[in-house]
Order: sequence, then C-alpha cells, then structure tokens
Amino acid sequence: MSEVMLEVKSLRKSFGTAEVLSGVDLVMRRGEVTGLLGLNGAGKSTLLRCLLGLLRCTAGTAAVLGCDSWNLGASEKARLGYVPQDVFLFPTLSVKGMVDYTAAFYGNWNASRVTELLRRWELPVNKACGVLSPGERQKLGIVLALGHEPELLILDEPVASLDPSARRGFLESLLELAADGNRTVLFSTHITSDVERVASDVALLRSGRIQFHEDLDGLKERTKRLRLTAGASLPLQSDLPGVLQWQVNGVTGVLTVNNFTAALPDELRAKWGADVVIEDLNLEEIFLANN
Amino acid sequence: MDISSSVFVVQPSSGVPLYRQLIDQVRGMIATGRIKPGDVLPSVRQLGAELEVNFMTISKAWGKLEAEGLVEHVRGRGMVVTAARKASVQAEQTRQLRVLVDQAVVRGLQCGMSRSELLGIFKTSIEEHLQ
Repeated sequence: MSEVMLEVKSLRKSFGTAEVLSGVDLVMRRGEVTGLLGLNGAGKSTLLRCLLGLLRCTAGTAAVLGCDSWNLGASEKARLGYVPQDVFLFPTLSVKGMVDYTAAFYGNWNASRVTELLRRWELPVNKACGVLSPGERQKLGIVLALGHEPELLILDEPVASLDPSARRGFLESLLELAADGNRTVLFSTHITSDVERVASDVALLRSGRIQFHEDLDGLKERTKRLRLTAGASLPLQSDLPGVLQWQVNGVTGVLTVNNFTAALPDELRAKWGADVVIEDLNLEEIFLANN
Repeated sequence: MDISSSVFVVQPSSGVPLYRQLIDQVRGMIATGRIKPGDVLPSVRQLGAELEVNFMTISKAWGKLEAEGLVEHVRGRGMVVTAARKASVQAEQTRQLRVLVDQAVVRGLQCGMSRSELLGIFKTSIEEHLQ
C-alpha cells in the first residue's frame, strides 16, 4: 500500500451550537485523485479547511503529510497546494506581480510551467488583480497553487466560476499533474461529470459524515437500479439489504441498491417471480440516490 | 499496426465504468476483425491525454485485458493483441451476452410478446447482421 497522505479520524467541527461535521473519517494515499461530493452546506469546505489547519477541529484529528493539520510547519506547507473558493489576491498587484510574489515563497517554483499555464489560459499578465473577472481570479488561483508542484493538492470547488472551455483546460492540467502517480488531489465539486473524468475515487459527505469513499468503478458496479415486474403485487416495504430507493406500483417496482451482485436478479426472480431489467447509473444518479 | 487513440470514445457520464467501456471496445474491435493479433494498443499516457481521463483508468483497462489473455505486454512495444481467444474468455463473453439477451427478453415479455414473436425478432436481427 502506498503512503498515507491525508488522514482524518472522528473529526467533529461545530460553529456555536451547530455541528457541521459529526465524526468524519477519511484516508487518502499517494496517487489518489478523489472527488468530494456533498449537497450545499454538507460541510465540504469546512472539512477542507480543517485539513489545511485553517480551522481548528472541535474533536478528533486531521493530519496531512503525516503532520497534525493545526501544527503544520513550513516544510509541510511547501508540499501542499490549496485553491479556496475565494482566492486571495492583492488588488493592486498585476497578475505577473502576484505570480512573482507567490514564487518568492517557494524554493521549487516551476516558472516555465507557470508561464505555460498563464499563456494557455489566456490570463492577462499585466492586468491588476483587483479588476480580474471571477473566472480569471479562479484560474490565477489554480496557477498559483500548481506553481510549486505540490504533492498534495486541495481544491475547494475549483471549477465553479469557469466556463466549459476553461474547465476542460483545468481538468487537463490536473490530469497532467496527476500523471506521474505521485501527486494526491482532493477536490470538492458539484459537477459530477468532472469527477467521472478525472477522479480515481469519490467520497460523499452527508449528514456530517463520509457516507462512502471508494473507487469510482467499484461504486458504479455495486450501485444499480432494477426494474421489476412481478407475478403478484410487490410489498410496499422492502426487507432487502442495501436498498437506497424502493418505489412500488402494484406488480411493478423500481429498486435502487448499493450492493449489487450478479446473483441479485436471480434472487429477485426466485423471491417474487419477478422479471428484472438492470440499469446502470451515472455518478449524478448515484449521488441523488444517496441523498 | 499501432492502433490509433482516436478510435476510442468514452462517455464519462455513462453508468458503465470507463475502464469497462474501453475493455468492451477492444473486445468488440477484436471480434469484428478491426484489430488483429500483433496490433498494439495505444499507450496509457497517449490514450489518457487524448480522452482526457485519469491515466489509471487506462492502465486498469489494459491490465484486465492482459489478465484475460486478450493482450500481452511486450517489452519495447507495449500491449500487443494476442493470437487466440481462450476458452475462459469465451465463457466470460457468453456470460455477458446472456445478461444483454435477458434484458431484451424481459422487455419483450413485459410488452406482452409471445415466444414466437421474440424468436422472430432475434432471427431477423441475426439475419440482418450476418448479411
């Protein structure tokens, strides 16, 4: 097994009396690219900020690169990259000035790569940061976070303000970064199709906990929708394990399960004399079935 | 012959895992003779960049095809399509086809079709494709 890059144990975080995270467990290993999904207000940003030591956990632990998140030293921070939802930029500095300013903090700054990204994303290098569009701000934030080629990259909704073409460009850069299998990426998003393209793994945050965190292929293979037509009326309640959705209308029923195996259709045929049609679900449908 | 990356098409937002889409396409191309023994699959990097998907997806697909004996890794060349279809591969293909046929049959029965109507549809389809 490869090296653990990030580890969260029984993490709780409350703001006043409101508990946002209520016992999060999450482990990521080197080379993983994980898409973090969750509804608005599920606590995705809070979790990422706890991981980066920007928020203090109420209980439990968060660690990145083997070091407690609240006590990260300069050497760990040099190996981390972070793109927040709102990128901080000095309004009076030009894009180029902001790049130079950021580069000065890092010994391992890849200037040629940064120049290439600025060019590819058509960022106006002489424009002041204060007058950039939201999309340009986000692009610049990503460039700044990639400049030192971080081993662990954490992105909070990185593509939210990007147009489809910029989004594809960003995903391409992410794939290039992840290509050597040594980088680890955790990104939160609402756009499930991006996760399906670039992520090796997917994690779902729901009710303050990680509901599942596993490889995307396995998730698609075990989550299926079955359309049943039985010999007699189907029961209104299902006693099957792993049921996410169960809708019955007389002798027909729609069943969504999270533990599909090749033997299940045969079991259903034997149990209810049902004809079974199996449907594959994409990540968006899986996401909705789990929320 | 080196198989071009451009013959592969994937739909990330399909319910079928990406690696499985690639496996099915390779199998299909072998079955229809579009790729032949000795042909070389695109490299993981090449195809990953072309399709803009995680490179691990490609290596997973190629790895499974290798485990099934459909391709083998040849030093300096890459993943080369092998000569013979093994019995185990054939059994697996039959199993997968059975799943598809079952779905069609169930759909037909739900629409109230009779045995002979269903058989007729299969027959017509086979005749059309073998022409």
